[in-house]
Amino acid sequence: MNVANDMSFFSLVSGASLPVQMVMIILLITSLFSWWYIFIKVFTIKNATKDAEQFEGAFWSGGDLNKLYEGLSTGRRKSQGMASIFEAGFKEFVRHKQQGRMEVSDVMEGTRRAMRAAYNRELDNLDAHLPFLASVGSVSPYIGLFGTVWGIMNAFRGLSNVAQATLSQVAPGIAEALVATAIGLFAAIPAVIAYNRFASSVDRLSVRYESFMEEFTNILQRRI
Amino acid sequence: MIRKHESDISWKAGMLALAVHGVLFVAMVVSINWKAAHPPMNITEVELWDNLPTKVAKPIAVKPLPPPEVKEEPKPEPKPVEPPKPVEEKPEPAPPKVDIELENKKKEQALKKKIEAEKKLEEAKKKAAIEKLKKEMLEDLPKPKQADNMDKKLKELQDAMLDDKPASAQQSSSVSPSVIGEFTEKIKAKIRGNVNKTLCGDGNPELTFQISVLPTGELSGAPKLVKSSGNATCDEAVERAIIVSEPLPMPPDNAAKAEFRNLKLKFKPNGE
Repeated sequence: MNVANDMSFFSLVSGASLPVQMVMIILLITSLFSWWYIFIKVFTIKNATKDAEQFEGAFWSGGDLNKLYEGLSTGRRKSQGMASIFEAGFKEFVRHKQQGRMEVSDVMEGTRRAMRAAYNRELDNLDAHLPFLASVGSVSPYIGLFGTVWGIMNAFRGLSNVAQATLSQVAPGIAEALVATAIGLFAAIPAVIAYNRFASSVDRLSVRYESFMEEFTNILQRRI
Repeated sequence: MIRKHESDISWKAGMLALAVHGVLFVAMVVSINWKAAHPPMNITEVELWDNLPTKVAKPIAVKPLPPPEVKEEPKPEPKPVEPPKPVEEKPEPAPPKVDIELENKKKEQALKKKIEAEKKLEEAKKKAAIEKLKKEMLEDLPKPKQADNMDKKLKELQDAMLDDKPASAQQSSSVSPSVIGEFTEKIKAKIRGNVNKTLCGDGNPELTFQISVLPTGELSGAPKLVKSSGNATCDEAVERAIIVSEPLPMPPDNAAKAEFRNLKLKFKPNGE
C-alpha cells in the first residue's frame, strides 16, 4: 500500500458511500443503546439481589410479621422485589381475615393470587430490555454485513471502468466496507454476552421469589 | 423505553456507555494511525540496501588490473615499469574512500571532487604512459607481445566501462558533459510524457533504470531496473514508458552517442 493512500479511521468512514454510512450510523446508535441498557441492567439486577438478601434477612430474623408489614407500607418509596410480594400477600391475607369467617382454602387461594400478581409484575421489571439486547445480538452482525456487501459491490463496480485492475484500487473500498462489519460485531458481541448473563441472573432471582412465596404461604396457613 | 424504577440510574448508565464507546474509538484510531506511520521506514531501508552493493563492487572491479601489468611489463624493458605505477596506485585511494563514504556522508562529496580531479590528472598521465608504452612496444617488441599489450588495453577499457559514471565521463573527455546532460534530460522528458502517472501515487518516488541506447536511438535489450521506487506498479509503468518512447532523442555527434550505450537513468515520474 502506498503512503499516499490515507487509511486513517476518519478517511475510511468519510470515504464510504451513503448507504454504508447510514448502516454505520444505525449500528453506532444501536451499540450506544445496548450499552446503556447493559449498564442499567447491571445496576438493577445488583440492586434486586441486594434487596432480596436484605429482606430475607429481616423476614427470617423471627420478628413480628405485622411490624415488618407496617415498616414496609409506611416506607417512603414503593417496595420492590421480594418485599412487594410480601406486602401484596400479607395485605390480602389481613383483609380476608378481617372479613370474618371464611374457608381456609379460600383465604390461602386469594393470598396466593395476590402474591402471584406481584411476582409477575416484579419479573416483568427484571426482564425489561432483555429482548432488545437479544435482537441487537442477533441482528446487528447482519446489518454490518449488509453494509460490507454494499461497499464491496461499489468497489468492484468502480473496478470495471479501469482497464488495468490492481489490488490498490479495490483495497480502500473493501477496507471502508469492512468497517461496517466491525461496528456491527462490536455492537453484537457485548449484547449477546450481556443477554446470557442477565437471563441467568433473572432466572435465579425468579426461583428465589417463587420459593419465598411457597414458604410464606406455609407460614400464613399455620397462623390461621 | 425506561422503567420508572430505573430512572435514577439511567444517567449513570448512559455516561458509562458513552465512556465505553469513547475508549474503543480512541483505541481504534490510535491503532490505525500506527499502521499508517510504518511504510516510510520501509522505503529508507530499501535505499540502504541498494547503495551498498554498487560501492563495494568498485574496488573489486578495479583490483584485477594490476597483476597482469606487472607481469607483462618487465619482459619488454625494465624502464617502463615505473610509469605504469601511478596506474596501480590509482585504485588504492578508492578503498579508504569507500570507508569514508560509509561513515560520513557529508565528507563524501568533497572527497569525491578531490579524487575526481586527481583521477583526471592520473588518467591523463596514464594515457601518456600508455601512449609511450605503445610506441616503444611497437618499435621494440616482437608481434605476439604487442598482441598481449592490446589485450591488456582492452581489459582496461572494459574495466573502465564497468566503473561508475564519473570514471566513464573522464574517459571520454572529448564529449562535453553539457551535451550528455542535455540529451539525458530530453530522454527523461520523452519518457515522462509516456508514464501513466496515476500508477505512481501522489508522492515523489525515484527509480533508476539501466538502459543501453543504440546510435539510432533504439534500445538494445530490455531496460534493467537498478533501483526500485518501492512500488512495483510504478516500476512497471516506467518500464513500459521507456519501451514506448523509442526512438529516444540522440545527439548528432557520434562520440556523444557512444555515451548512451550504457546509460543509468535516474527517473522521477512526478517531475524533479
